[in-house]
Amino acid sequence: MKLIDLKGILNRTLSPRYADLVTRSTGRVVRSRVEEELEKIDPTQLAVIDFGQVNCLDFSCADEIVAKLLLSHGTVRYFLLRGVSSAHMEAIHTVLERHGLATVAENRTGEVQLLGPINEIARQAFGMVMKKGSAREQDVLDSLDYSPDSVREALDELCSRHLIFLAAASYQPLTSI
Amino acid sequence: MTRVVEIPSSFDDQSFDLFARNFGEPGDERLLFDAHAANWATPYGLIGILIAGQVLRNAGAEKPLFTIPTDRRVSGYWSRLGFFDFAEEFFELHGTVPKVRAKQKQDVLLEITPIREVDDVHEVVRKIQERAVAILTHELKLDSTSTMGFAMALSEACQNIVEHSGTSGWVSVQSYNWKQRLGRKIVLIAVSDSGMGFRESLETSLARHHGDRWGDGLALEAALMQAVSRFRDPGRGQGLQGIRRYLSRWDGKMSVRSGTSRLTISPDWDSDSARLDNLAKFPGSQIQMIIPEQLETSEEGKKGE
Repeated sequence: MKLIDLKGILNRTLSPRYADLVTRSTGRVVRSRVEEELEKIDPTQLAVIDFGQVNCLDFSCADEIVAKLLLSHGTVRYFLLRGVSSAHMEAIHTVLERHGLATVAENRTGEVQLLGPINEIARQAFGMVMKKGSAREQDVLDSLDYSPDSVREALDELCSRHLIFLAAASYQPLTSI
Repeated sequence: MTRVVEIPSSFDDQSFDLFARNFGEPGDERLLFDAHAANWATPYGLIGILIAGQVLRNAGAEKPLFTIPTDRRVSGYWSRLGFFDFAEEFFELHGTVPKVRAKQKQDVLLEITPIREVDDVHEVVRKIQERAVAILTHELKLDSTSTMGFAMALSEACQNIVEHSGTSGWVSVQSYNWKQRLGRKIVLIAVSDSGMGFRESLETSLARHHGDRWGDGLALEAALMQAVSRFRDPGRGQGLQGIRRYLSRWDGKMSVRSGTSRLTISPDWDSDSARLDNLAKFPGSQIQMIIPEQLETSEEGKKGE
């Protein structure tokens, strides 16, 4: 797991006084530093993007950092957003909707949730995998009241979007990477 | 020859068109901005005066004259808002500028602040988070998470200047008790610039599509209602939408004036026209946002959502 502290990047690259991720140009600079950090780690490692010390996140920064990271790296890398406040969630959710993207976020009380447009079956399958910590396909099929094909499709979608992963024939949450 | 530009005695968004008409399209004459009889002005009005001054300076016009309000309470308030700090750059001031002690500025949420670059936006967002929490939560009865949304809305409005206007602008935030007009307290945000405006900003992407109908009003609708941006990046254009959503959640009002049109998104408590065209032309764009004190019933309604 690689922890990437956004406030640290902001302070090192732009100003030690800044605590807010605001403006598009700030977002661009921060994203490019995050991408430099990503280059140092193997794609199979989980990149934890830490919002814990960030005060305000505006839509432009959310778009430049979260949406553009997912657009460029979301199908080859695993991301978990950590320390996300409810105000951050709103900005992030908005930009993800705009791009049709989804990601996994952990709020400030440690609760993990999916952000972005995801259909209900996939959302429930994700919840099931999170709850069990590790679930075989049959476990998920048994626990959800949907047709097997639609549940399999949902699991495939979650895996292809790197929102969960498949290891040793079990679906696992990103937190177990 | 000197031409007089009268400052409306009560100068806010409603009387702005009168000011824009008085300002007109200046030629070679020297202008005299006459505010001696002014008895009230919101940050929206005051920033409008600065925009006019900035436009004249950029056009190389002779430094216009400016008569300071004779009512000391009025000029004192303008001083506390920081108006004269910038006005002296653009105008030859006539009258007495009241001196303001730092302590007297405490009733101002955010004094008139220039937005020239990204760093200014960061500074505004930092300051407003420090100063607005108590007002938003205790006086306007917004929930504690609203402060971030407020800062976010302010950031998006200010960075529009840096990203789109091609010039600089100003922002100011102030709270008022609208006892007579609304029976509630409000927070008012004014953000303006003297830049290219919405029409020119969107011209290359939309003008051909709309043909003869293209103008300031359509440009404002495209930006505010359809999140259209001059950039092809699909992530662009979300800022004004985000502001709209934030204001709608808190029963707020938003109006944007650019060129000869003004678009207003009004809550139930306001009866302003949704769109006005053929107004007096004024440079750049002027945004005003108003967030009212929350009523008990609407708070309960939100909790139930």
